[in-house]
Amino acid sequence: MTKGVNALAAARILLLSAAAVVVAFPLLWVAIASLKSPAQLNDPGLILFLPNLENWARVLEAGILNAAGRSAFVATVTVAFSVVAGSMGAYAISAYKAGGSATRFGILAAQVLPPAVLVFPFLTMAYALNINNTYVPIIFAHLSFVLPVITWFLIGFFDAVPRSLEEQARVDGFSRFAAFRLVVLPQVLPGIGAAAIFGFTLSWNDMFYGLILAPPRETILPVAISAFNTFRGVELGAMSAAIIIAVVPVVIASFFIQRRLVQGISGGAVKF
Amino acid sequence: MAEVRFNKVRKQYGSSVIVDDVDIEFPSGSLTVLVGPSGCGKSTSLRMLAGLEEVTSGEITIDGRVVNALEPKDRDVAMVFQNYALYPHLSVLENIAFPLRATKTPRADALHRAQGVADSLGLGALTGRKPKDLSGGQQQRVAIGRAIIRQPSVFLFDEPLSNLDAKLRVETRFELMQIQRRLGITAVYVTHDQEEAMTMSDRMVVMENGRVAQTGPPAEIYARPNSVFVATFVGSPKMNVLGGSVLDQVFHSKGGAIISTAGIASREAVTFGVRPDDLQVSPAASGGGTVVLVELLGPRAILHIDAGSDRLTSVVDADRLGELGQGATVDLRVRVHAEHLFDPTSGFRLDA
Repeated sequence: MTKGVNALAAARILLLSAAAVVVAFPLLWVAIASLKSPAQLNDPGLILFLPNLENWARVLEAGILNAAGRSAFVATVTVAFSVVAGSMGAYAISAYKAGGSATRFGILAAQVLPPAVLVFPFLTMAYALNINNTYVPIIFAHLSFVLPVITWFLIGFFDAVPRSLEEQARVDGFSRFAAFRLVVLPQVLPGIGAAAIFGFTLSWNDMFYGLILAPPRETILPVAISAFNTFRGVELGAMSAAIIIAVVPVVIASFFIQRRLVQGISGGAVKF
Repeated sequence: MAEVRFNKVRKQYGSSVIVDDVDIEFPSGSLTVLVGPSGCGKSTSLRMLAGLEEVTSGEITIDGRVVNALEPKDRDVAMVFQNYALYPHLSVLENIAFPLRATKTPRADALHRAQGVADSLGLGALTGRKPKDLSGGQQQRVAIGRAIIRQPSVFLFDEPLSNLDAKLRVETRFELMQIQRRLGITAVYVTHDQEEAMTMSDRMVVMENGRVAQTGPPAEIYARPNSVFVATFVGSPKMNVLGGSVLDQVFHSKGGAIISTAGIASREAVTFGVRPDDLQVSPAASGGGTVVLVELLGPRAILHIDAGSDRLTSVVDADRLGELGQGATVDLRVRVHAEHLFDPTSGFRLDA
């Protein structure tokens, strides 16, 4: 009996370890690569060496932090709008079955649309309205996929709030909106925090809209990273450093919200 | 202090009628209990009064004012839910003070008044705690405190004691009655527990299938139920109800039970009702009934008696169990004038 259980536990550990390696190895490799000189990069198997900060210097000099700042700005604005509108939308879907029972998952239909379909209409509209030099087009484009996801993510959290709580607030003397703001929202704040970070990541990672809709010469981070793939060849070292700058903040933030992330993605089915 | 009235109030979803043109009067300052089995429309009626459900047709008035179109916040009512609906993110003190926020009372005043209310309910030491750190009984009292702080015109209670254990229920029942009487606020109380209804109400409204079956003081409903439904719903153990006929002062049920009476006119077909307290048993060698089970309640006992193919219950003093134990054969008799006669087809009371 115990032998069987041990074998099962061993198999589980083996599987999880394999998954961890698959996920962590590329990041680890890139982190190491960012500390290698161009000569050392030609030797991928080299692990023990004297770290070299010239890639980091190159990347900072190239304005990577500015690009990161622009990405952060776009992501923050996108998430701010999405959380405000998305929380109200998620509440309506949860409490009043707005849009019918299909809306719960139907709202994700926005994800099905390939960005290639929307990007040129966006660009054309931006030129027509003469806002193509602003951040407005890219923010709108990001909203097109962040807002539905954040709304969908929050529905499960609102489901967990008993209807009697807001009914009590309404009888206690508050309007429906006041009841929502003072009583329901405080219950879902952990979910909103997680949704915000989740949405931030989606916007932060976007390459496609960023490439085409960002103001000229004001590149966002994923585009700046790809710029290290020059006609002279790939500047692996610099690119690695830039990748680390792009990935590490998100990994750290996700670590803190991992419970809520699972809760949200499972539609509230998993409770902690 | 406000009089509440339901005028032909109806609640309908499509073709499904939950509340069927109901007329009810809730006298000012009284505690009226809406009681009935699940699905009878009592909770829906309460929620329409609170403003949480729309009224399909008819009028609800509070102090003569028609409130159908008013939002709950404008009706000056306070409600206690079955699960107390305490705000988890606020402390006990803030929970009780919360309704005053809607009236823009300054925070210091509100908290001060809340402390006073908490003290009067024995919660003075717990004001800093969050709801999840309280027992069921304490949570319930916070909900009550939150309701009374506003001095509303009407109190609404939706089965507030159902989540408490039996002993706590009896204690809290008494406290609630005291509070209502002291404040003199009109109260509408919904429950499915007939004992709660009997002990607490000034007036009982028994509901069945969306309609009012009977209204009146609890004593009257107990003594003169106007239908078989009300007769079997109110009173524990349940009233014995049998179909049969009366001949020469003796009731013969279809199942073969024989119950002696005094002074009933002969009838061919009747539904005969007798409460277990009024069914007198006396040991008899060749009696019509046999005791099959004895439930000891302390000073009294419930006897389950097989008579013919019928099963009857009787409540007797425990010191008679020597001669009335399990297996004893007995004769059955109704206490004088304690029988209830109903029409066999309609189920309504026959006033003999």
